[in-house]
Amino acid sequence: MKSNSVTVGLGVLGAVFIIVAVLYAVGVLQIFTSTTSGPHYKHAVLFAVLAVASFVAASFARPKTA
Amino acid sequence: MGLLQGASELFPISSLGHAVLVPSLLHWSFKQSDPSFVPFLVLLHLGTATALLVLYRDQWVAIVRGFFTAAIRGTMKTDSERLAMLLLVGTIPAAVLGVFLETRIKTLFASPYVAAGFLVANGFLMLGFEALRRRRERGASRAEQESHFADAERISFRAAALVGACQALAFLPGISRSGVTIGGGLLAGLRHQEAARFSFLLATPVILGAGILEIPQLFTGGVPLGEYVLSAVLSGIAAYASARFLLRYFRSGRLDPYGLYCIGAGLISLALLHFGL
Repeated sequence: MKSNSVTVGLGVLGAVFIIVAVLYAVGVLQIFTSTTSGPHYKHAVLFAVLAVASFVAASFARPKTA
Repeated sequence: MGLLQGASELFPISSLGHAVLVPSLLHWSFKQSDPSFVPFLVLLHLGTATALLVLYRDQWVAIVRGFFTAAIRGTMKTDSERLAMLLLVGTIPAAVLGVFLETRIKTLFASPYVAAGFLVANGFLMLGFEALRRRRERGASRAEQESHFADAERISFRAAALVGACQALAFLPGISRSGVTIGGGLLAGLRHQEAARFSFLLATPVILGAGILEIPQLFTGGVPLGEYVLSAVLSGIAAYASARFLLRYFRSGRLDPYGLYCIGAGLISLALLHFGL
């Protein structure tokens, strides 16, 4: 049960990171950036990597069948 | 500059510190504020990253394969799979700090005086890492020491994250990325050669990623692409030779000579800058 909730939590976190990555890539999100307009590909890639890491962690946390 | 960057990127002597100091000391004409300087650095970094990929090509194939296998399966069964996950964990802190802090830190500290000061600090860091390692090994026989050493694949995930976070210190000009990661690896229980291997593997995605993201800047006007590509090739050759040398050196060599070099070079640079020579 605990593993299931951790897995879901990490999956949701990964989805949030993907949304943030897309928002940075299209230039909608400007938080913590050095310029105030345009796309921020470095930030987008970072959040894409964080999303991948979250999904990997979710995969590790999911209950395994024997 | 290509040769200097390629060689100093992997030696624990700070490439950024040297990139700030050497042109200033030799009165070279180009300025780091010049719009063509960033594309120049980008290509040099791509040269270095390519050299590291070539050097570890077999391991990278195994690491990438191991990453996908372990990620889909949800467990790690082989050393390559564990190493892939360690590199992911080690890369994230540096990437987060790099994206949010690198530009601010580099802007704040991009002065030859500061670079020389941090180069001295880097020297003391290297000596400190070795002193801590020696203190831990004091009293143990050679065989006992060897039994305590781990391969890069066997360090803990917490240690990998800490070693990765150490990379952020290298945004300070004068602090060496490879130096702090090799030092961090030593404190995590790796022998020198393994610490160097882990440091080089950890550096590759960060250097490559940063380089690829800046590629569009190469196509802005006024960039002498031919000369820059030649510099990148030289940088790659120097980086490849440096990595081969260092892996051989660290079979028995230590960080101390580089620490002493950094302290000496930093102090001499400070004196030269102060007296305007």
